[in-house]
Amino acid sequence: MKDGGERAGSLESWLYNHADAARRSFRRRMDAPGQTLIMIAVLGFILALPAYLWLLLDNARALSAGIDHEPRIALYLDDTDTDALAGAAARIAALPGVAQVTPIGADEALDEYRASLPDPALLDWLEANPLPAIIEVVPAERTPEAVEALESRLAILLPEATSISDHEWVRQLQALHAAGLRILLIVAGLLALGVTLILSVAAASELRERREEIAISRISGATDRFLRRPSLYGGLLLGLGGGVFSLILLGAGVILTRTPVEAAASAFGLPLVFAAPEARVGLILLGTGLVLGWIGARLGSGAALRE
Amino acid sequence: MIRLQRVTKRFDGGSEALSNVSLRVDDGALAFLTGPSGAGKSTLLRLIARLERPTRGRIMVNGKDLETLPRSEVPRFRRSIGLVFQDHRLLFDRPVHANVALPLEILGYRRAEARKRVRAALDKVGLLQKENAPPQTLSAGEQQRVGIARAIVHRPALLLADEPTGNLDPTLSREIMQLFLDFNRVGVTALIASHNLELISGLGMPILHLENGNLEARHVTQARSAG
Repeated sequence: MKDGGERAGSLESWLYNHADAARRSFRRRMDAPGQTLIMIAVLGFILALPAYLWLLLDNARALSAGIDHEPRIALYLDDTDTDALAGAAARIAALPGVAQVTPIGADEALDEYRASLPDPALLDWLEANPLPAIIEVVPAERTPEAVEALESRLAILLPEATSISDHEWVRQLQALHAAGLRILLIVAGLLALGVTLILSVAAASELRERREEIAISRISGATDRFLRRPSLYGGLLLGLGGGVFSLILLGAGVILTRTPVEAAASAFGLPLVFAAPEARVGLILLGTGLVLGWIGARLGSGAALRE
Repeated sequence: MIRLQRVTKRFDGGSEALSNVSLRVDDGALAFLTGPSGAGKSTLLRLIARLERPTRGRIMVNGKDLETLPRSEVPRFRRSIGLVFQDHRLLFDRPVHANVALPLEILGYRRAEARKRVRAALDKVGLLQKENAPPQTLSAGEQQRVGIARAIVHRPALLLADEPTGNLDPTLSREIMQLFLDFNRVGVTALIASHNLELISGLGMPILHLENGNLEARHVTQARSAG
């Protein structure tokens, strides 16, 4: 039979097929606006929740890093001899990573303590000075790693001394942050899995509604890829919508949280400016939405087409 | 165009739909396939369209050996065939023109070009004025003609029809058969299953008799006096 018209070139027809599938799936979303909005809302909530928690964690970390705190290591010595104390201080000062060394003799410490009491006579009944001599060491670097390294060097130098670092709490905060991040990752992973399954069930049921069309199309030579294409575009559309909605939710969360959190921080005397999420976070949310939408649609349509 | 060599089809239940069938239909030929219901007419057509696979034997269609045709090539192969069903299988959720356009969508035709071809196909079956109608508003004969328009819109080299006049009155049936003869006249190879012997014997085309899965081996050539 003579071909009257020119069929589009194969790349062009492939592109046209894609554009057509995208247009169809967009129209399908618009035909069921209620269902589409519910899916977008579910996706948006599920994306926004971990993003919001991450933002809180990130601000907490920034808070600990932002505090202008000079770490100190206190070495408590049993040997209260003044000369021994001065000798130990000199040896410590020669160590690398030490910014400042202050030896405080036991008598000096007792005097300081006495001065801080409302009634200095309270201490007179003591027979001997119970206080140890102290060497206060300021590390040159403030990072917990540097402080820890210096502590272990001090432990080798003065094995009999008891060392207490007031930088401990920074390490504790960091450990908490790491644990929080891990928990957050697990929660986010589970949520992503859940939403992918929801999307896949939706895609599968949509394809089942098109069963007769699919049967006829297969007889007419449609490939599975062709039949699946509108679902994949549908998944991408839902993913994009969910990503955008999650950004709106996150923005609202930041606006609603900023003032009370900053007020709470300043009540503790902490300088906190609650940081809004960076553009990177927005891109990650949109990207995650698209990827989850695509995977969900791919799984669901694959299952429905195999039936 | 179609070549079957000792083809046997046995279904899972053990019944043999086709036994050792050999057949050859040349390019541009038209043949009717007849026999009582259950004789294996539908099975034979489904085998040729590769909707089923034979238990034994070899089938060549349009130069392709269906036994060795890779799965991935099946869709492309099916695009070279037009299929008409007794129950026409139209989609009632869309108008007539969208039903007819389905094979063109699969082939990736642009909307404007597809529209042109859909109108040409509908014109051929005399339903151009119904292009925007929902299929459920059409009569049985009109619905069948929409099904035929869908089968020929992408200009397949081979047209297979399974009892296309099964539900129609004699006048409509004759009109439908005349459509197939018209398509054949412009070069389409056609194999049409029909149990209506009275109707097809008056059309002057070769008739293949299928009985209990058996067919006398035949070679159908192009009719010289067509037109």
